[in-house]
Amino acid sequence: MAKLLEVKNLQTQFLTSAGVVRAVDGVSYDVDEGETVALVGESGCGKSVSALSIMRLVAEPAGRIVGGEIVFKGRDLLKLSEEEMRDVRGRDIAMIFQEPMTSLNPVLTIGRQLTEGLEIHLGMGPAAASARAIELLGLVGIPDPARRLAQYPHQFSGGMRQRMMVAMALGCNPALILADEPTTALDVTIQAQVLELLQDLSRRLGVAMLIITHNLGVVARYADRVNVMYAGRIIERGTAAEIYADPRHPYTLGLLRSVPRLDEPIRAKLDPIEGQPPDLSRLPPGCAFAPRCAYRVERCTEVPPLAACGAAGHMSACWVSASLAKEPVA
Amino acid sequence: MTHYILKRFLLMFPTLFGVAVLIFLLLRVVPGDIVEVRFMAQGQYSSEAVMAIERAKLGLDKPLWQQFTTWMWGLLHLDFGVSMWTGAPITEELKLRFELSLQLAIMATVVATLLAIPLGILAAVKQDTWIDYAVRVFSIAGLAMPSFWLGILMILAMLIIFKWLPPMVFTSFWVNPWENLAQLIWPALAVGYRYSAVATRMMRSAMLEVLREDYIRTARAKGLWLKLILSRHALKNAMLPVITVIGLEFAFLMGGLVVTEQVFSLNGLGMLFVEAISHRDYTLTQALVLIVASVFIFVNFATDIAYAWLDPRIRYR
Repeated sequence: MAKLLEVKNLQTQFLTSAGVVRAVDGVSYDVDEGETVALVGESGCGKSVSALSIMRLVAEPAGRIVGGEIVFKGRDLLKLSEEEMRDVRGRDIAMIFQEPMTSLNPVLTIGRQLTEGLEIHLGMGPAAASARAIELLGLVGIPDPARRLAQYPHQFSGGMRQRMMVAMALGCNPALILADEPTTALDVTIQAQVLELLQDLSRRLGVAMLIITHNLGVVARYADRVNVMYAGRIIERGTAAEIYADPRHPYTLGLLRSVPRLDEPIRAKLDPIEGQPPDLSRLPPGCAFAPRCAYRVERCTEVPPLAACGAAGHMSACWVSASLAKEPVA
Repeated sequence: MTHYILKRFLLMFPTLFGVAVLIFLLLRVVPGDIVEVRFMAQGQYSSEAVMAIERAKLGLDKPLWQQFTTWMWGLLHLDFGVSMWTGAPITEELKLRFELSLQLAIMATVVATLLAIPLGILAAVKQDTWIDYAVRVFSIAGLAMPSFWLGILMILAMLIIFKWLPPMVFTSFWVNPWENLAQLIWPALAVGYRYSAVATRMMRSAMLEVLREDYIRTARAKGLWLKLILSRHALKNAMLPVITVIGLEFAFLMGGLVVTEQVFSLNGLGMLFVEAISHRDYTLTQALVLIVASVFIFVNFATDIAYAWLDPRIRYR
């Protein structure tokens, strides 16, 4: 399939009083048309910033994209003017944010917030835009959509607001949706509903999705391919099956082992990864995960590991990845 | 919505009654009364008996509850009574002054709003650039300069440079708008500048706060232009605190412009207030406090309605 989005060696930094924080430090990944790709990692590993970088919405002036390319449909988004970028946002690439409670404007009606994108990008008149908005709300499973248009976000529940965000994202038939922790703020049952909805719609409408999450369960169920991020870098990449059955990076292995399992006999305790993620303004010279790593060898603290390609593009940035093949996942 | 407005409207009356009771009692707790002040001003020594007769003439010998009910009864008929000092009917006395103060407050508010909202938005959008610094210096200067001093400078400038002075006698806007504006525009500018300084700073900080909100990021992610994001998504949210400031400043202007009124030789409520209190003119002071309090309460009511109009979360509660 054709490459829809290619992120190449993206570097995004923040200038803080503590120094330069390398939030995204040479990250490369790609998304094919109609495919669902996951970006996984714990809080602060740079996954959200990498998505905001694609939209060029990193908060300036503290944050800036210092290097790399973001090629979308053959065009480098980083080279576009602000005006050209505005046409891409919402029309070609849409974004769903983490917090449905604060991501909708409290003083504007649902209808207003749904139709404005349609009016701007598709040049629809108010009547056509309203009709399309009703259709969109119906599509995401909000009952009685015509009446809902006149309501305000505070009259919607959290799950309904996130459905509304999905409707808003789908409005202009984008080719790619960036979903930044789309379900983190929701109840577990609602999480599943929203994710099913996202998957169903992306399949039906052929929209590619980049899901950003820390939830491995979400990844296993909904992603075709997975990128695992740690300290601003991608440390392992592969298909969802590869990552789950045959993790080749100690960090991925640690993440999988720290997931509580309901389908197994009660174990004495969870097996979390020891230690804390590193300070992104003071990364160690070698592998960023080395201080927490149980498989550490001498070389790890001195030389950053190269990305080694395994079978069919299963990649892992680890000096000892080959020896991890025998390790049981759980 | 109707319920909300009705509730706020009805709440105004008990508040006003509370103010009336409070000012009535407070005035009578203040040492000295109008009779003492008057005799002292004339430099005479008067016996207690003479003073008692004077008090009786003003009705001050009656028990407090009786004085209060008399006053309230008058108020119910929209009659403030007569000034204890001059004996003139208060309603007549206040009419022109109220008109002047109200007009000045409205004009100053217009000046301040026209300055504050664009400047505050501009400073917030251009945060930490020279534009922002210029706006901040301009507004800090407004806060630092008393408006009466600015008024003196304005009058001097007009006198020295243009050899012209604004008219000194108040003409009602309805009689001769040109003459009226020629007199009032200067104090409105002087007062409005200081007033705009407060509002500009509030507008700027509210805007900065709103621009950091998640829903602004959502709006940007939709590909809206900055102008639309500001006018549609940010302004309504940022206006809430600014409206409060504008309302309070407006109410303050109704009775608080003592020195500025003097500089521009305006017969507004502020000067009258000071005189009434120093004379212990109970009836006049009560009337003035009640009027200024009504303005405050009404402005609060208007602010509440503006809030509900801007914010659906309040409207639908």
